[in-house]
Amino acid sequence: MMENAIAWILIFPLFGSVACAILGMGNKKLCYPIAVLSMAGSLWGGIETLRQVIASEVHTVSYIFGGWTLDNYPRGVGIEFHADILGILITLVVLGVGFIVAIYSKLPVQDETPNKESLFYTLFLLQITGLAGICLTGDAFNLYVLIEVAALTGYGLIAMGSKRAEAATFNYVILGTIGASLYLLGVGYIYIKTGTLNMVGIHDVIVANGLADSATMQVAFVLVGIGILIKMAFFPFHAWLPNAYCNAPTVTSSLLAPLVTKVMIYVMIRMVLSVFGVEFSFESTLWVDVMPWLVVVAIICAAVMALAQREIKRMLAYLIVAEVGYMVGGVWIYNYYGLIGSIFHVISDACMTLCLFLGAGLILRKAKTTHFDGLRGLFSKMPLTMTGFFIGGFSIIGLPPTCGFFSKWYLITGGMVSQRWEYMVVLMFSTMVMVVLFFRLIERIHLAVSESGENLGHGHGDLGLTKEQTRFDEGPLSMLIPLLLAATVVLVVGIYNQDIVNLIEIFLDEFNLPKGVSH
Amino acid sequence: MKLLSFIPVLVVGVLLLYAAKDFPEWGSLDAPASKSPVSSHFIANTGVDTEVPNMVTAVLADYRGFDTMFETVVVFIAGMAVLAILKNSGRKKLVKREFEVDAEPDLIVTNTVRLLVPVIQIFAFYVLAHGHVSPGGGFQGGVLMGASFILVALSWDLETALIRFPFNWTTILGGLGVFLYAGIGLLSMFLGGEFLDYSELANIFTVSREMARYHAMLGVEIGVGLTVTAIMFSLYANLSTEGRHQRGL
Repeated sequence: MMENAIAWILIFPLFGSVACAILGMGNKKLCYPIAVLSMAGSLWGGIETLRQVIASEVHTVSYIFGGWTLDNYPRGVGIEFHADILGILITLVVLGVGFIVAIYSKLPVQDETPNKESLFYTLFLLQITGLAGICLTGDAFNLYVLIEVAALTGYGLIAMGSKRAEAATFNYVILGTIGASLYLLGVGYIYIKTGTLNMVGIHDVIVANGLADSATMQVAFVLVGIGILIKMAFFPFHAWLPNAYCNAPTVTSSLLAPLVTKVMIYVMIRMVLSVFGVEFSFESTLWVDVMPWLVVVAIICAAVMALAQREIKRMLAYLIVAEVGYMVGGVWIYNYYGLIGSIFHVISDACMTLCLFLGAGLILRKAKTTHFDGLRGLFSKMPLTMTGFFIGGFSIIGLPPTCGFFSKWYLITGGMVSQRWEYMVVLMFSTMVMVVLFFRLIERIHLAVSESGENLGHGHGDLGLTKEQTRFDEGPLSMLIPLLLAATVVLVVGIYNQDIVNLIEIFLDEFNLPKGVSH
Repeated sequence: MKLLSFIPVLVVGVLLLYAAKDFPEWGSLDAPASKSPVSSHFIANTGVDTEVPNMVTAVLADYRGFDTMFETVVVFIAGMAVLAILKNSGRKKLVKREFEVDAEPDLIVTNTVRLLVPVIQIFAFYVLAHGHVSPGGGFQGGVLMGASFILVALSWDLETALIRFPFNWTTILGGLGVFLYAGIGLLSMFLGGEFLDYSELANIFTVSREMARYHAMLGVEIGVGLTVTAIMFSLYANLSTEGRHQRGL
């Protein structure tokens, strides 16, 4: 049981989804407990694997499906799961978010997608299977298959929302398919030049044959890179994201928003560091020179667009696009601290986005709207929800001791020591924008000011609302507890940031990244 | 707009052509893909490892069986996602659409199909079961089987086909196919190997470890076949009637 822990991570949700599809047809009440239990089992597998990774001498767990062990067969004959510290940390984020959202899902799924519970949970669990598999796999083609699993379930989950969700999904299908196809094309070119699909194997061949100058490999790098950038909604390719996440059912957006973009950033880091290698990615391509400037444009545009929104979920969607810019920038400033920041920000951004979307779901349920105008007096009506929501918000801004502060700290340090001033300045700028965003929200909730600026109350503390409208009226416990849990995680990850950074440093130390100016 | 979308197409095309200048020679023995230890192992040892004469099937269902399991899952997801989007949740009104006709099924068409369907289905079983030695396998067999039901739906109407293949069975069989595939993997894990290590099945069946792989491959192919059959038909039934499962095209 213990030695197969890494396989159990996927087995639990896979079998859970089949059980939901078949058993859920007869009795739809079974789906929720099946989903929560399989997520709990999967989380156990993840924690056990983390323990094994830390305990092992090389800090990796290699698991080859089908018994094609490295002792008897050449590497690449079977499909390998290659969990190093980076992979298992992101997997744990996926499983943790999945578990919390599974608990949260009970009431919203019943209300928003009636008679479709069994289908919803089938797709939900397969989504987790795909995302967790992406983080663990050590095979470039298997990665593509798992991206497809995650993408297809995502399309289904989003399209179950309102009527407008179907149109948004169609956009997502087109762009997502283009991204995945470009990635697949790139993998094909890699195979032509290296003759293997195993990530470790690819890297070994690239180093041994000196493929850094090969035109085919250069094109493969561009194709894989752009494919992933489309999938992660990096700025010019972000068009699918806001509509998809706004119109999706509450549970879908709470699951996809924290995970999908972040997992794709993990894929980029994996490709850059482990597959192509530091020398190939940073020294023999032009991406180091170009990407930070694209990141600058991306963050500014996304932040300004977030500022223009009058609806919480839509604003959060643009914040995600801006955050994607942070993390991509952290990779391409080519610096040890930047990469620590990037990886840590993947973790903390997932936690805080989860917090915000769970909060937005609760607000939508109780206040019936997520438009800024409908928020007045919410602090007295639902104090716990708003506390949880704003812990996430403060983390996005980067206030200590939330985790967002520490990850942003490393990103800014990276920008400073590598003397990428443009990246540093834009980080500061976007922090300012986020301060404005969230404090404007607080103002809306606490003060009696309407959208057009006219004063609705009669002075301080008077919101212009009746007693009825400000009476304590919290959301249901099955939704509130996951939100508070997520808020606690944001704080705990922030407080124990040093332990996580130590783990990330163990992972990064083998790559010889520059700790100062790179060129 | 058309001109604008032409630009990325052109850029990708130029990139692909540029990459081709560095390709290894066509069919060359020195190409990395032919030289790599992985392909040499497949060519030299497939028969030794698995007793399966068809190398492609062995790579698909055993060496890279984990990929194929998720390909099956992808097919299953496609069916579930389309059902989730189109499933009639009581909102849509039942209106007759202009392409629905009330004409009786055509005599010549139905009688031809009556003759064809059994042949197609037997051929589907053949393709499924002979995947080890000849081109074929679960996906192809499943597609043929699913097509036979779609043919019935096309020549009579969907309701006639649904009598033979009730709609709820598509979800059950689709799930069962994935369950069969992953279940064989799980069983071999319980017997002491890694997930999907079919050779461990030799512990409970009285065959050699290699033959255990051979037979398990047939098992997983049947799982694939079940899922593909069910989902093919489910997709047709959903898409042709916008999820109402009535009459159809």
